[in-house]
Amino acid sequence: MMRALIVDDEIYSRQELEAMLNETGEFIVSGKCANALDAIQAIHREKPDVLFLDVQMPVINGFELLDMIDQEVMPSVVFVTAYDAYALKAFEENALDYLLKPVEKERLSKTVEKLKKRFREGVKPAFSGSDIKKIPCVHSSRIKLINTAEVEYVRSGETGVYVICQQGEFYTDLTLQVLENKTGLVRCHKQFLVNIDLMDEILFRENGAAEVKTKSGRLVPVSRRYLKILRERLFF
Amino acid sequence: MSVFVVIAYIYCKSPLFKSLTTDAIRTRDRVYLYFVFSALSIMGTYLGVPVQDAIANTRAIGPVLAGVIGGPLLGTAVGVTGGLHRYSLGGFTALSCGLATALAGTLGGIVHLYLQRGNRSEYTFDPKIAFFTAFVAEILEMAIILLISRPYANAVALVQVIAGPMILSDAVGAALFMSIIRDQKNMADRIAAVSSAKAFKIAERTLNILSRGINPETALALAKIIHKETGVGSVAITDKEKILAFIGHGSDHHIPGNPIASPFTKAAITDNKVIFADGEKERYDCPLSETCPMNSVLVVPLHIDNDVIGTIQLFEPRNKRFLNMNKTLGEGITRLLSNQLLLSRYEMQKNLLVQSELKLLQAQINPHFLFNSLNTIIAILRVDALRCKDLLIHLSNFFRKNLKRGGDLSTLEEELDQVNSYLQIEKARFDDRLVVDIDIDPSLLKVILPTFTLQPLVENAFKHGISNTLGQGIARIKAFRRNGLAFIEIEDNAGIFHEKETEDGHGIKIVERRLKGHFGNDSGVSISCVPNELTRVTVKIPLETKAP
Repeated sequence: MMRALIVDDEIYSRQELEAMLNETGEFIVSGKCANALDAIQAIHREKPDVLFLDVQMPVINGFELLDMIDQEVMPSVVFVTAYDAYALKAFEENALDYLLKPVEKERLSKTVEKLKKRFREGVKPAFSGSDIKKIPCVHSSRIKLINTAEVEYVRSGETGVYVICQQGEFYTDLTLQVLENKTGLVRCHKQFLVNIDLMDEILFRENGAAEVKTKSGRLVPVSRRYLKILRERLFF
Repeated sequence: MSVFVVIAYIYCKSPLFKSLTTDAIRTRDRVYLYFVFSALSIMGTYLGVPVQDAIANTRAIGPVLAGVIGGPLLGTAVGVTGGLHRYSLGGFTALSCGLATALAGTLGGIVHLYLQRGNRSEYTFDPKIAFFTAFVAEILEMAIILLISRPYANAVALVQVIAGPMILSDAVGAALFMSIIRDQKNMADRIAAVSSAKAFKIAERTLNILSRGINPETALALAKIIHKETGVGSVAITDKEKILAFIGHGSDHHIPGNPIASPFTKAAITDNKVIFADGEKERYDCPLSETCPMNSVLVVPLHIDNDVIGTIQLFEPRNKRFLNMNKTLGEGITRLLSNQLLLSRYEMQKNLLVQSELKLLQAQINPHFLFNSLNTIIAILRVDALRCKDLLIHLSNFFRKNLKRGGDLSTLEEELDQVNSYLQIEKARFDDRLVVDIDIDPSLLKVILPTFTLQPLVENAFKHGISNTLGQGIARIKAFRRNGLAFIEIEDNAGIFHEKETEDGHGIKIVERRLKGHFGNDSGVSISCVPNELTRVTVKIPLETKAP
């Protein structure tokens, strides 16, 4: 049995697909999400084998969602959409399959065969993806999208990952790993990423570590290990 | 003096006079004027009476008039010519008289300038001005004779004899000449005014008719107007093959619907040129009837761009001369009508373009909506077959309305009916997170507006608004009256509107163009947006305008 997660902004669309997946007897539907932000959390939490993903969704579409998922937990992806204009892009992104709504039973069984074959062969799903231009953050029950160029630094703590920009500190569901890979932010500490473009100066400390002072005067710790890498990045 | 009056009269009847009937005097006209007035001046010398080794004359009239009419340059030139001629004749006043004649021209020119600068150029042809200018010019001449001519005693004696008659005769002569010119000029103006008024009247009455295209019905209306306004014997309008309309003498055998018989018409159509048979050198011989009274004809091709589409023809019977004015008028009207035809074709193509753009827009939106709707309906079939049936009825209603032609008009009620079907389906798609709020003033339900005014705007609200929000989506549609206008508002709570989003902006622009095309500039579409809170599109329609 494959563990499946359904992501679609239409309620009946989710219900119908769930019913069809159950009818095949090959899936356990481990969750249904109405938008990409819920999906990011669910994927990291449930680590499903396969993702049935709608393309056209509010704020963050299906393709952008894939850019925001950690490679560690990346499921196989089947796009499910009414817009066939996206098919080519879906395959460029190494999607396993592409289903058109309304979904036909026979077509779905082919998808099942493809999935089973992949799991037999043990191929790990991988996505080329593109850089994240906007980071989705939670801001008093609203979703705020922060341009990566405006981010001064990112920190991860016990309670999760926070993005710090001029306006303040915002919680995000993206992992530090994803942000390091998919944005221009540079690792300066096990728990910190920094935006080189918004750095003002580096202050060296006695124990060989350092601190970065950002343009708005915030201090970001730099560990000894990452100081070396940071120096190389800055050519000094 | 009488000689002058005769000369003035002859001059006015000659083609040279044409140079004075136009308002702006051009260089060539000045040359004509120079010769006419120089001749007048020299003639004045010859027609003078020899008095005491001098000549009592009317030489100054030419330069004075030339100056007043044509300005200082022309006046002086004529004066110098007349003066040089007088000088060449000799006598003890040769120099002074020659000089005085030149100065008379300059004086006339100064008066001309004075009138122009003071914006009183309408006095240029006033006989009083000519009288006083000549009067002063002659006094000046007398003074110059006294100053320059020697022996002084002879000069005094001469002036005593000639001053009175010359001053008076020159002044009266100039005034008379001018008054004849003025009368002739006024007459020419009046004729021009009458014929241009006629042309405008025809133009005004025909242009409206032609905007409906050219067919037997409009052709008849056109022919009637041209016939009445020009007073010609008869008027015919043809297309390329047959007579569309015929009015006047000979309508018993020139019957609309019959093929073109006249070789003149055929030639005008094939060669795309105006053909004129004046009835003298070239005659119109009716190929249909021996007894046809028509003798002269003007055939003017009607064309769009360079393609001949027909002709307009003016006929005169044997006993009437074909007036030049009617010839010009006939050609002018046809040119005007051709332009109008070109314009109406352009308008038509523009409308077609708007309509096809609209269709394209509809076609772009529908497949996505269709597949998503079908998907939703199939999903609902699993849980609620009755609702499913309802939704399918809404879907078919929506598409039926969409297939209506874009040029049609609808009532607000019909528009809302389509919008409602659309909303029912969208509500099903986003069952868990969509609220729709409709508030319509019932007295506005019969308001007429172009079909597809509301639907694209509501679709925009979903496509670019509500389907892009994560939380609860709210759509509001309101219709109300204010200040004699009907307002229809379509509002969503997403607060996303990107001016640069071309497809979106394009759709709204088409809606606005069609509204303005129907209601004029009192109508329109406006957009306001509070980011993250709401986007409101407002349609404004004047209520007084009665839909046709």
